[in-house]
Amino acid sequence: MTRPERTSGPRPRGRRRAGALATVVALVVLAACGGASTPAATSAATPQPNATVERITVAAASDLRPAFEELGAHFEAETGTAVTFSFGSSGQLREQIVNGAPFDLFASANVAFVDDVIEAGRGDEETKADYALGRIVLWASDPERVPASVDGLVDEQYRRIAIANPEHAPYGLAAKQALESAGIYGAVADRLVYGENISDTFRIAESGNADVAIVALSLAVADGRRYATIPDGLHEPLHQALVVTSSGDQGAAAAAFAAFVTSPAGRRVMVRYGFTLPGEPEPQS
Amino acid sequence: MDDWSPLWLSLRVATLATALSGVVGVGLAYLLAKGRFPGRGVLEAILTIPIVLPPTVLGYYLLVTLGANSPIGRAWEDLVGAPLVFTPTAAVLAASISALPFVVRTGRAAFEDVDARLEAAIRVAGHPEWRVALLVTLPMARRGLLAGVALGFARALGDFGATVMVAGNIPGRTQTLPIAVYDAVQAGADDVARTGALVLAAIAVVVLLGVTHLSDRRR
Repeated sequence: MTRPERTSGPRPRGRRRAGALATVVALVVLAACGGASTPAATSAATPQPNATVERITVAAASDLRPAFEELGAHFEAETGTAVTFSFGSSGQLREQIVNGAPFDLFASANVAFVDDVIEAGRGDEETKADYALGRIVLWASDPERVPASVDGLVDEQYRRIAIANPEHAPYGLAAKQALESAGIYGAVADRLVYGENISDTFRIAESGNADVAIVALSLAVADGRRYATIPDGLHEPLHQALVVTSSGDQGAAAAAFAAFVTSPAGRRVMVRYGFTLPGEPEPQS
Repeated sequence: MDDWSPLWLSLRVATLATALSGVVGVGLAYLLAKGRFPGRGVLEAILTIPIVLPPTVLGYYLLVTLGANSPIGRAWEDLVGAPLVFTPTAAVLAASISALPFVVRTGRAAFEDVDARLEAAIRVAGHPEWRVALLVTLPMARRGLLAGVALGFARALGDFGATVMVAGNIPGRTQTLPIAVYDAVQAGADDVARTGALVLAAIAVVVLLGVTHLSDRRR
């Protein structure tokens, strides 16, 4: 990457820099008034070796909400470090991290987004690890209306079918691939409605605004109502991976949480929500 | 609702944003009302843009301008040691820009309503223009200015789109009440969503009643 030195003369560049500096000075004053309420920021700025980290912030794909909230509570009880989650679609979280969002750990629903973060210099490649294979299921708020297989979606009774936005939500992409593999994407395309992320998609169907949805197995398990698993051969595998996105004590605490997720105790919780690794038994519907 | 931190954060962010957009906005409103300079119409249009732009577009532009890969974002990171975006400060900035047009537009109308003969009388007495503004224009326009600032506060408190783009959704740090409501809906925590929505609606009603009271000319 070359800096724009050759194209612009020294004077305008200096002036622009002065303008940026003036803006920054104004913003620093603003931060001085507004920043008093940020314990996480102050403890991150002054790392104290061997001190217990008070809190870590984890950016997590929204399919992880039920499982990670449980794991976060366990982790805090065990280590004294609280875990705050920011849930969203993996693509949106990747954008935030690449733009400098102060997260300590990124748990993505797709390994490709983890690689993007590492490539942007915001993730520590050494800490990249797979933690689950994601599975998708058919789900409806009325258990009677859950179709037995993807092909069942062509039925006219399903006027609105919710999937996550395939542009930035890995579970949405997997749903789209499954519809394509089943050869019915064209038949149902104009009945699809997109959720912002997979929990948004789940809510669209739960509130009755869609007749049926393709959601993450974990959310269907957490809800407890009936679902029909979609064969994983119908979509690219959802390799869910995580990476530590901060350094120092915060980074070490984030790595400890990542290790906890993949520890036997963590695995038990993850498997209960349907996050199996190859070779592990799947939960029964 | 057990965790009220989004409400306190929202009130803090909206208050700081109101202070910022109040000072800047009243100054700009005075300039638009009294100044005769080329480009006045363009300036007014630019200052109104945040009302008509989708908040997400506003947030996107802010993210591009202040993000870690922008000149301002980099200079900030060099100076402060941490990125500007996805902090409470970024939330204050997003809310300020959303609130600014309300202060400017209402304030401009208030300044223009001030009786020019009163200003002229003081001017004739030999006072410089800044004394005229301080002694006559500002006191006469204060109800309208307060109404604009109150509207700005309501807008700042309610911002979702721009804030979520540039400050994200980090509980305890940047999760304001509107974002907490959205998050609660996604989590299926309907009681939290209901309480948060009710609080926001109640504050909006109170502020609007105040604005109506301030704008009532018979008082």
